[in-house]
Amino acid sequence: MPRLHRAAAAFLSDYGMLFVLLLLCVVFSVVTNAEQRPTGAAAADQLAKQIRREFGARPSVLIVARDQAEDLAFADRLSQALAGAADLLVVKGEPVDARQALGRFAAGGDPLDVIACTEVTGSWALFSDLGAAFPALAKARVLQPHPYRWPNFLKTENLLNIANQISVIAIVAVGMTMVIITGGIDLSVGSLIALAAVIAAALIRDAAGGVQASPAGMALASLAAVLACGGVGLFSGLMITLFSVPPFIVTLGMMMVASGVAYILAGGQSVYQVPDSFVWLGRGADLGGLPNAVVLMLLLYAGAHLLMSGTRLGRYIYAVGDNLRAARLSGVRVNMVRLFVYVWSGLLAGLGGVVMASQLKSGSPTYGAMYELYTIAAVVVGGTSLSGGKGKMFGTMIGAFTIAVIQNGMNLLNVEPFMQKVVLGLVILGAVLLDRLRNRAVE
Amino acid sequence: MIGVSLLTLDNPFFKVIGNNIVREGSMSGYDVTVLSADKDVAKQSNQVKDFIVKRVAAIVLSPCESKSIVPVIQEANRAGIPVFTVDIPCNEPGVKIVAQIATDNEGGGKMAARAMIEALGKGGGKVAILHFPQAESCRLRVKGFTEAVAQHNTQNPGGQLRVAAVLDGGGAKDMGYRAAEDALQAHPDIRGIFAINDPSALGARAALEKAGKASQVVIVGFDGQPEGKQAIKEGKIYADPIQFPEKMGVEIVRAIVKRSKGEPVPPQTLIPTSLYKREDAMADPDLR
Repeated sequence: MPRLHRAAAAFLSDYGMLFVLLLLCVVFSVVTNAEQRPTGAAAADQLAKQIRREFGARPSVLIVARDQAEDLAFADRLSQALAGAADLLVVKGEPVDARQALGRFAAGGDPLDVIACTEVTGSWALFSDLGAAFPALAKARVLQPHPYRWPNFLKTENLLNIANQISVIAIVAVGMTMVIITGGIDLSVGSLIALAAVIAAALIRDAAGGVQASPAGMALASLAAVLACGGVGLFSGLMITLFSVPPFIVTLGMMMVASGVAYILAGGQSVYQVPDSFVWLGRGADLGGLPNAVVLMLLLYAGAHLLMSGTRLGRYIYAVGDNLRAARLSGVRVNMVRLFVYVWSGLLAGLGGVVMASQLKSGSPTYGAMYELYTIAAVVVGGTSLSGGKGKMFGTMIGAFTIAVIQNGMNLLNVEPFMQKVVLGLVILGAVLLDRLRNRAVE
Repeated sequence: MIGVSLLTLDNPFFKVIGNNIVREGSMSGYDVTVLSADKDVAKQSNQVKDFIVKRVAAIVLSPCESKSIVPVIQEANRAGIPVFTVDIPCNEPGVKIVAQIATDNEGGGKMAARAMIEALGKGGGKVAILHFPQAESCRLRVKGFTEAVAQHNTQNPGGQLRVAAVLDGGGAKDMGYRAAEDALQAHPDIRGIFAINDPSALGARAALEKAGKASQVVIVGFDGQPEGKQAIKEGKIYADPIQFPEKMGVEIVRAIVKRSKGEPVPPQTLIPTSLYKREDAMADPDLR
């Protein structure tokens, strides 16, 4: 029993932030609970039933849908369901098109009993004062799908958005976690994101054939961008290990250098001459609807977790951060370990940059501003100690998601932008404080 | 609901646009969410994606970057959500923008040139331009300014204005200060400075004061932000073609409502500037 207790306590201290994250999710689910209306085929079935029930033989029905996948599904399903039972006319398009159709009804003197709308088309201002615009059609009833309640936060689309939005920061944070565990810091990652995005996009434009680039060409360009960032990481690592320059200063310098180089390479503009298929990595979703960037992120976390918990290198990384001298005296090649983490951090920042370039289908030197701070925040919120030696890979992932959930939740709640910064800052502080208090209790 | 993502809310100009969209929107029965993209296009993309999930009735943007914002606008287009732009356009191929509302920046630039010509009088002289070439709106302002100057020069060969330097003033006080100092070093006989917005105009003013040339050089700014208007009242800036961000906010909501009613919406609405000089500042109830 005491052992079980200890295990639970250890789990709490390792992944206590998970509870904070879950708590946030619950809170946002409750407060974003809102009226939803069915869409697509489900909405069509509902309206078909209502029309058959409430309107007599062969009512005249105008179906109004936007020219967009889910509305078209609605229109097709409803037309099928009412075929033979009603006089149907379908409008697919903008409010202008609906207005024209109504104008024809009003001018022709044809009766119109029902205007069947989706959630969106039903809220067009055109229908709110129908009687005023078309007195002849004042008797027509506008039908919309009936509402039910469900949290905006918990919609599948929204949850996938959160994961996709945080993927870049989360990927970069893998490297940052290792750097911080060795007791270092890497401020250059934000600029490396921009550098990698620009290099990848520029290589695709200039060397791989621009908008006609092949997948292999794009992969090579991306690889080159990632390796270039790895090179920057190597340089930082060498400065830190060979000349004992503090990591803060080295990576601060490289942050400016990398940003400047990105601006020079891009000529200050965004590089956008890339094929449409370049968005595969950032916006595609091949694995059961899970975005590719999220899959990549999960794989990286799984790999990094295994590295940190199951290999000698992982143990050395902790040892270096815990006590550099002791690690050196016990035979760990500390400089190799430190070099490794900075190269790895550079590579992952480069990968993050490629993902961002893919998400935005262009590379611009303005990307990644302040990302080093968000990344560090994710790592620290995830329970890694800035003094080194302590930290968990999945803790960082939870930290990254905590930040993403807060940002997303506040956007969904219409929190004023300046207030969002205040809240985010306070939540980061609160999370860290909570972690400290719990750690103290566990000890 | 209307989702609005503006370039930045640090600049009062956008804050006023946002506030007016909120006010006018609520009168037309819309909830309005105004977000600041903090000039970060990735952040703006995420905000637009959140709007799409929230199934807003319309999206209003002032894009941080017209090229990189294309994919999410296309996403909104595919979701059938109408997109409007305010101040900064997005004229890229493959995106559908219902309407663009902006200041007539080119006309404003011409207005600034006329003010400069008037202030310098018959003698003419050298002028410097503090540019912010990254922004399309500022390129149009400078285009209007130089065109009007060129036209003046052909009509008045005696009192020519010569654009001696075009420097990047960054649209900000600190950059404007440095750029104006450099311009004064290179051309000590400069008689006028046209700055593409108030912050860079005020930066230029600080440089002139430091160099002891404040009384010899005329500054014409742009925008009409409160701080700029105050400076005009104190005679620090000669004049501003002023913009009407409140009108932009109102026009955006009108365009949204018009579209929703199925009425035709003009693809572009340009709001003319008006010249604001010391007399206007003296009579301005907003300035104590």
